[in-house]
Amino acid sequence: MASTIVTFELGGREVEVMVKPMTTLQSVLRNQLGFTATKEGCRQGGCGSCTVLVNGEPMMSCLLPVEDVAGQRVTTLESITPAEGLHPLQRAFLDANAFQCGYCTPGMVMISKALLDHDPAPSDDDIRQALTGNICRCTGYRPIVRAVQAAAEAMSDDAGEQAR
Amino acid sequence: MTVKSYFLPRSLPEALRLLQLHGPELLVMAGGTVAMPLINEGISLPEAVMGLRLAGLDRLDRTDGTLRIGATATLTQMLDQDAVPMLREAARNTASWSIRNMGTVGGNLFTPPPGGDVAVALLALDASVTLAGARGERVLPLGDFFTGFMTNELAADELLVEIQVPIRSEPTAYMKFGRKHANTPAVVTVAVRIEWHEDRVADARIALGAVGPYPIRARQAERLLVGTGLDADAIAAAAVAATQGCEPFTDGIATDWYRRKMVSLFVGRALEQLAPGAGAEGR
Repeated sequence: MASTIVTFELGGREVEVMVKPMTTLQSVLRNQLGFTATKEGCRQGGCGSCTVLVNGEPMMSCLLPVEDVAGQRVTTLESITPAEGLHPLQRAFLDANAFQCGYCTPGMVMISKALLDHDPAPSDDDIRQALTGNICRCTGYRPIVRAVQAAAEAMSDDAGEQAR
Repeated sequence: MTVKSYFLPRSLPEALRLLQLHGPELLVMAGGTVAMPLINEGISLPEAVMGLRLAGLDRLDRTDGTLRIGATATLTQMLDQDAVPMLREAARNTASWSIRNMGTVGGNLFTPPPGGDVAVALLALDASVTLAGARGERVLPLGDFFTGFMTNELAADELLVEIQVPIRSEPTAYMKFGRKHANTPAVVTVAVRIEWHEDRVADARIALGAVGPYPIRARQAERLLVGTGLDADAIAAAAVAATQGCEPFTDGIATDWYRRKMVSLFVGRALEQLAPGAGAEGR
């Protein structure tokens, strides 16, 4: 089978790529579209550095043939970064020193984004449960859990402001 | 990457046609959480792959006291259902959120040990599986499905399409013991279901994972429990007997010696959860 054309939604824009059979979404994002926030880690689904959202749900883009997401909505760290400034999660990760080398951070932020979309006020235990598939070898996780907690608070304050 | 053809059938008939056409050389993949790592590493070098994600086999139906689980229903879908609490517990203890969003219940039956923890629960629940082929469908008890390490009853022209689980109110216990609290391969997985008649055990299921080539039942231990009141002596005897028939293996997680020890310990603990006066809930 020759290459095929796959179309999907990436950060609100329709993108079209020509791919060899079973090219992973991760490879397409990084190598064809230049969306390099999504990292290549273990390529085994074991580290979480490639986490993206598909229709709002976290998935490992290293295990996902891009053909499987044809017509679907893909969200990466680039998609949630505002044109100016930072997403509250990015801000909170920065403020809490929730990264050192930063390699796991895009995946951490995306899984945390999915968590806060599902549950705007998660407990520490909820956060730890959500992050079990995302490995960080630098921080010891505590600053990351703190950052997610802080982002949840900041976002609920923002929502409160807007409601008023 | 050697894959020359990747097929994404949109229906079961289309999937079966592709299987007929390409034969056993066609690698069948559902969630990709087992096949993709092997392909990414170059350990598996298939030329043709069929992905089932879009084949419409992911439905959950509750009919006649049975939960019918489409083979490509995800582990996240197991977390979201409340008909069979043990399956929720099994899914909760399997992998991580992103992997549960991808990995499927059907795929779990093809996952080599120490993976395949949901299958252990299904075995204790007396699940059966529907295999569909060009000549029609057949239904097998899950216990008859496995034949060896990564081998099973599935014929080359068949697909596993559905898993049926009887919905019962009996108390169950599910324990997965690993080296971490979550997202970890099992040292041993234990799934227990007890059928009571008044204050005596009428029937018992003890299913074990990660201590054999596929999920197995501790039949000797099950037999020892029948007729007892699940008292401390009965539990102790069953815990010892549970190691009979096990074939624990050594891997990066645990030695065979340790796994055998843990079979007794965790079968005992699981039974204690279900013993009278243990405050066991019908979960």
